[in-house]
Amino acid sequence: MPTVTIDDIQVEVEQGATILDAANKAGVWIPTLCHHPAVTPQATCRICMVELDRGEWKQLVTACNYPVRRDITVSVSGDNAVKARRGVMEFMLARAPDNEQLKAIAGRMGVDSTPWPTVTVAQRDCILCGLCTAVCDEVLGLAAIGFSGRGVDRAVAAPFRQAPDDCIACGACQAVCPVGTIQLRLHEDTDEIEISPFKARAKLRKCEQCGARVVSEPTAAEALKNVNVDWEKIRNLAKLCPKCRRIRAAESLAATASGTPTKEMTR
Amino acid sequence: MTEKTTTRDELIEDIIDRYDGETGMLIPMMQDLQTECGYLPADELRRLAERLDLPVSRLYAVATFYSSFRLAPKGLHEVTLCIGTVCYLKGAGRISEAICSEFQVEPGGTTPDGLFSYLPVNCVGACALAPVMIVDGEYHDGVSVDAAMEILRTLPAEEIDSEQEAQT
Ligand code: SF4
Ligand code: FES
Repeated sequence: MPTVTIDDIQVEVEQGATILDAANKAGVWIPTLCHHPAVTPQATCRICMVELDRGEWKQLVTACNYPVRRDITVSVSGDNAVKARRGVMEFMLARAPDNEQLKAIAGRMGVDSTPWPTVTVAQRDCILCGLCTAVCDEVLGLAAIGFSGRGVDRAVAAPFRQAPDDCIACGACQAVCPVGTIQLRLHEDTDEIEISPFKARAKLRKCEQCGARVVSEPTAAEALKNVNVDWEKIRNLAKLCPKCRRIRAAESLAATASGTPTKEMTR
Repeated sequence: MTEKTTTRDELIEDIIDRYDGETGMLIPMMQDLQTECGYLPADELRRLAERLDLPVSRLYAVATFYSSFRLAPKGLHEVTLCIGTVCYLKGAGRISEAICSEFQVEPGGTTPDGLFSYLPVNCVGACALAPVMIVDGEYHDGVSVDAAMEILRTLPAEEIDSEQEAQT
């Protein structure tokens, strides 16, 4: 197993692990934004840059996707690495000057403001990390949203900037967004969930038992599509919220324990 | 309606056939579509995506990435403004802003009245003439904001030479 020396701490990692993995193991903090275990490394944000010591020369690399193949020496707290990361953060703060999540990371990195002019309101907050589009494409297989434009006009958008046909309003994009740019809006009057800013809307499924809102109808349908066994039981459980599902499972367990075996047993 | 649908589908099939349905040839296919339609109509793009089994978002990303693709029909006139480094330094940025605000047009878009399509481009290779604005193929050099606006304000609202327009 190759040894990674990070700021004088030595750790061994599996061949092919990333510098970020090694840093986690060594207990060294490297800021990340576009890194998420659910998707392939994006390496778009560059906030995780560290300096790789190659003997005669040094090189800045992104820790989140740089694979460790042999023994390497990496500097996280060296001047060059710190300067590079702070520079990136200053650019990002220009895009999302009021973003609390970003400001928290910036603070931890020792950056408290940006010298750059801030972007227009229309482009505000999104740091273009690509996690939302990646999760929609790689995990959901939908690619309902994607990038549009380029350069300063680059933005995450649904095709033609209209409510996307392919969106099932699952909320995965909202869950992965590192800076909270994507938001879920609940429309009480119509029982709909809206994924903002994409204007996607879908009806919410309500728990049959308690009426709690569970997931969007298309998401439930999509999830059931992936269930190969057409168990009536699964269909029925899908109509409940997690809480009621647990209660029902407990009930059936209790029934088993009291000597009435039931096929309804679930996890 | 039905007839239009058939022709549209036929056009898409024809374009796909030209490239043996190779998804790697997406850009040439989109170029062909634009040549046939004058722009990239949303329905046609959706159909093309469906037939190639690609997400519409991918086609939209490509269409918005390259400035030569247009998603709206062309205007009567074509206005190109160079915003390359030299032109920019000599004030093309301000000209662009003036055009956008007075004619309510976005870069790459067409004015609401269809008078002209406006396309800022990165260097037309005529830096000595900076800033350069090209109207229907005619180069206007060293334009000021006022001069540029005057040229655009006096653009004829009727089609003069449709043949010449159809190209490029
Ligand atoms: S919306 Fe969020 S997840 Fe998507 S690119 Fe922007 S910052 Fe990243
Ligand atoms: S976290 Fe490594 S490039 Fe974004």
